[in-house]
Amino acid sequence: MNFWQETWTLIYRDAVLEWRTKYAIGGIILYVLSTVVVAYSALIRLDPPVWNAVYWIMVLFAAISAVVKSFIQESSARQLYYYSLVNPAALLVAKMIYNTVLLTGLCFLTWALLGLLTGNPVKNPSLFSLIIVLGSLGLAVTFTFISAISAKTHNSATLMAVLGFPLIIPVLLTLVRLSAVALRLMQDTSIDGDMVILAGIDLMLMGVALVLFPFLWRD
Amino acid sequence: MEKLIRQSWWKALGVVLLVYVHTVGMLAPLKPGIVSTTPDSARTGEKVTVAVQGYNTHFDSAEDSLRAWLKLDDKRALAAGDVAIKSETELEVVFSLPAYLPTDKRVQDFSLVLDNAIDGAFVRPSALLVTQDSIDPAMGQSAWTNANIADLHQHGGITFPFRSILGETIRNTYFHVSLWLAMVIIFTAALVYSIRYLRGQQPRADEWASALTTVGVLYGLLGLITGAIWARYTWGQFWSWDIKQFTTLVALLIYLAYFVLRSAFPDQERKGRISAVYNIFAFVALIPLIYVLPRLTDSLHPGNGGNPALGGEDLDNTMRMVFYPAVLGWTLIGAWMASLYYRMLRVERLSIEN
Repeated sequence: MNFWQETWTLIYRDAVLEWRTKYAIGGIILYVLSTVVVAYSALIRLDPPVWNAVYWIMVLFAAISAVVKSFIQESSARQLYYYSLVNPAALLVAKMIYNTVLLTGLCFLTWALLGLLTGNPVKNPSLFSLIIVLGSLGLAVTFTFISAISAKTHNSATLMAVLGFPLIIPVLLTLVRLSAVALRLMQDTSIDGDMVILAGIDLMLMGVALVLFPFLWRD
Repeated sequence: MEKLIRQSWWKALGVVLLVYVHTVGMLAPLKPGIVSTTPDSARTGEKVTVAVQGYNTHFDSAEDSLRAWLKLDDKRALAAGDVAIKSETELEVVFSLPAYLPTDKRVQDFSLVLDNAIDGAFVRPSALLVTQDSIDPAMGQSAWTNANIADLHQHGGITFPFRSILGETIRNTYFHVSLWLAMVIIFTAALVYSIRYLRGQQPRADEWASALTTVGVLYGLLGLITGAIWARYTWGQFWSWDIKQFTTLVALLIYLAYFVLRSAFPDQERKGRISAVYNIFAFVALIPLIYVLPRLTDSLHPGNGGNPALGGEDLDNTMRMVFYPAVLGWTLIGAWMASLYYRMLRVERLSIEN
């Protein structure tokens, strides 16, 4: 099998695993729902600036709990078996693509749920959708790689938060600012440049992750 | 490297440079300047008395040579009618404003230029706003060209520029800015050692990376503290969640996480390899944080939102003579500290192995 066939098979495997258990996805949907309820009952009226902040906080925590299991859910012995079976880089790329798709779905779900309960303040849905896709890519790339690092330690969940949160802030800052434009909270004439910067950050992190992964998986 | 850390010439050079930076940087006086002028507005046709508060000036000693102008540009200026000296730093200048201004604007701002034999010439930009009732540039031109600004004096000696808001805090350039640059250099060196570790798996490279990162974090903290003190004097408060302050804080968190990660591994090989991987990933994630994101948002920090930074009148040649040695000095002292810490880590490892 070549690289992309391997990648595709691995993505399919992740999706099937998810579909059979429905454990993670169900947990995350419950998580998003309960956060929406808490946010709604505490704040009642979510003004657009607050909505923007609450939305990305929810996405951030949903993302970290969705991605944290990437390299932890299977025993390290079985991981090693996969590495001998396929190209290790294909495994990382497969996880990244799968997590991007999963997070994009989660972002749209959160948007729909939050919009249903609090009203939808997004004035420019197509721009917001594009931001969601680029943001999911950034969150997935960073958190997948951090998950691979923290899987090497004993208390991986704690370390995931300690390593992940500061590293995701560049992406998150850009996301909050861009979605403020999509909510018409601010005018921005250089929106195209900012989108390019966000895509640039995503690609740069992905490139470095791919270069470094060979040093990471071997034990 | 192993040879270099036993030599002492570069450590001595670092000490000498920092002694030089502290002496010249703290002791050389600021150029004479104008702190305030009152009133700040007037109307055409009136006789206005402007009270000037100077800084590091010698009005009283240089009494005879004192001259003053209201200046629009090189051709259009108005000489003072009378100059009354109150003290070395206080002065009253009387201008008889003509009936018309030399522009077609209703309100025009003029700079105040002072000159004397001891202090040389110095300017306060936009010192006086003049309003005119009727507009006639041609009439104004003839009234405002009567005074040539010529034969200005030069101020001798080593001085730093006087920038109205900064005042004496301009000296912080040698600490805040140069510590920041030294930190970037040290983190880059740590990155190089992390890459080396991944290529050669030498424990030494990992110890260097760890020691350099420790010093880099120390410099980052010092840069943040000196920046906060500077902000207290220029922005009004120590911490204002300015994007630069915020991103610097996050950068420090990223590097503190590096030490948390290191402490999670008991064995040297895994610790070195995985922390090297994290260090490289973190450095790449830092680049947008430090160089790209601050450009997207409004900030009070120099270099953002149209504020000037290292350039123009903010860093003149006298300041360069202290600033560049300061960067080099802090870097050398940082390398010295890192080399001591590296030797300590190495001794610890060897004593465990034997």
